[in-house]
Amino acid sequence: MASNKKEEKPKEKPKRRSAGQWAVAWRRFQRNKAGVFGLIIVMAVFFVGIFGSFFAPYPARPDTGAYAPFYEKPSQVRKPPSWLDPEQPNKWKYLFGTTPIGTDVFSDVIHGTKYTIYVGLVVTIITMALSIVVGAIAGFYGRWVDNLLMRTAEVFLVFPSLLFILVFVRIFTLTVGEPFWTIPIVNVQIPAGLTIVILILALFNWASNARMIRGEFLRVRELEFIEAERALGASNIRIIFRHILPNLLSSVIVVSTLTIAYAILLEAAVSFLGFGDVNTITWGQILQENFSEMRTVWWAEIFPGIAILLTVFGFNLLGDGLSDALNPRLRE
Amino acid sequence: MIPVFLGISIISFFVMYAAGDPLNIIRIGRPTITQETIDALRRYYGLDKPIPIQYLTWLTNLLQLNFGKSLYGGRPVNFLIGSWLWETAKLQLISILLAFAISIPIGINSAKKQYSKQDVAVTSISLFGVSMPTFWLGLILIIIFSFQLGWLPSAGAHGAPYLWFNDPILDELAHLIMPVTVLVYVMLAQNIRLIRANMLEILRSDYILAARASGLSERKVIYKYALRNAIGPVITYLGISLGMIIAGAPMTEYVFNWPGLGRRYVDAAMRLDFPVVMGITMIITVMTLIANLIIDIAYVYIDPRIRLR
Repeated sequence: MASNKKEEKPKEKPKRRSAGQWAVAWRRFQRNKAGVFGLIIVMAVFFVGIFGSFFAPYPARPDTGAYAPFYEKPSQVRKPPSWLDPEQPNKWKYLFGTTPIGTDVFSDVIHGTKYTIYVGLVVTIITMALSIVVGAIAGFYGRWVDNLLMRTAEVFLVFPSLLFILVFVRIFTLTVGEPFWTIPIVNVQIPAGLTIVILILALFNWASNARMIRGEFLRVRELEFIEAERALGASNIRIIFRHILPNLLSSVIVVSTLTIAYAILLEAAVSFLGFGDVNTITWGQILQENFSEMRTVWWAEIFPGIAILLTVFGFNLLGDGLSDALNPRLRE
Repeated sequence: MIPVFLGISIISFFVMYAAGDPLNIIRIGRPTITQETIDALRRYYGLDKPIPIQYLTWLTNLLQLNFGKSLYGGRPVNFLIGSWLWETAKLQLISILLAFAISIPIGINSAKKQYSKQDVAVTSISLFGVSMPTFWLGLILIIIFSFQLGWLPSAGAHGAPYLWFNDPILDELAHLIMPVTVLVYVMLAQNIRLIRANMLEILRSDYILAARASGLSERKVIYKYALRNAIGPVITYLGISLGMIIAGAPMTEYVFNWPGLGRRYVDAAMRLDFPVVMGITMIITVMTLIANLIIDIAYVYIDPRIRLR
């Protein structure tokens, strides 16, 4: 999404005759069917995430006490998807069936979309910020700084990180008080438990991206124009921010897209194992809630999983497509 | 090896320590607990001593394979871990070997015929595989093969009455099929993508052209000359990802209720049973490091240019 906006920018300046870097990339991207398909999926996910609450058939569950029976009426509990249910006259009533506590799985999936986007974007922003800082320092200054940072990254890579993520998430979600935090100035409510999960996921995932960015930094640092810049007397900070980082932009965009996919998968796993935020119904959370009743309400396990699969697949396709479009060197 | 082991042990000890005072967490769980009980527990677990001394005590105990006692039930951790370790190792070893045995020929074939129908199918399916949540594949398999068809057991590693002709070995096999399928599928996708990418690069190199020009059979060119170089990065990747693969065990083991380390880890982490959590973490770390050592040694056989010093 973010990259899409950037690619459209050059169109606003028709003065320039030759196509800019982004326009060329956009044209190359359009030719890649898989990538465009990924972009469509991603755009659909964003659409549902932003506007989902307007067209979801049933309202979201109340903010707290998600486990309290909300819709529970005997007539509403454990209904299979309506289009499979011969006793149900209205084939559109429960598209994905209902859960043992009587919530509509289709509505839960739609309301959960915004959390998925929240997880994907915020984890990626923090991860990329961390890994750009670490990668830039290691790649630019080299020597013992590089050595120290990269050994640390290696430890994080060999680390069985999921194990630590689980323990950390458990400890911090136990100690958190209220289910929602309010960001002071803009007055936006964010789910506290989910935000803790996000922060911890980001903390344990920077290592591989940092290594990639360091590698790119090493490559660009040796190019001639950097030498020229240095001869002109530019400071290190100026070289890093004005000259090296813009060169890494395409790699950063590609890696970010793939990191979003990975973050969504990881959050689903953490929630599924029962360590998620019980007050926010993410897709993983729906799977966890109905796991013990899987034998009867199999639909509550299948459809949220398809949602995860499609979303992650979309981001992966988009990432691959962007990679082909932005780094044509790899293709040849 | 040893510095990395010490590094990880220090990090995991202080990570657990920084995570908070275990007694405080007990206090959150049981608000009625008295201060005297807290103090007694603190002395009992040695938490009143300075941190470096606690670390050294823990480490020396660890090296003597003494992981302490579980906070729940008080049974010694190494006594508990022994049987779980075997179940996890069995599952992981079978899956890793199977994943390699399947992914190498598929990866090679799709590199040989790049952009053919088979190649496009394999690459898109493997991208699909990377996108699929591990545990969800397990759920689907259980729903289809256990609940709908009733062919395979949905949970556990052994049946109380043996399944499949009352035979203990066939029974074990019946329980292994679905977890192994899930683990293999996850690894397969990654492996195929890597082998394919490496083979593509190598098949274009000059020495392959030379080998072909000197009239070697295609089979010999691929399996003797190209594969050796293509497999290197895959094995390196295996080393790096092994920690992740083994640490990913909780998901598969949780879904299939497999009585292994991962399943127990989820329980222990849920109850914040620190001795068990740290014991399992260290065992998985040691397993990862040993596997990396084996990989380093295997390298010498695969790539004769590397010499062990």
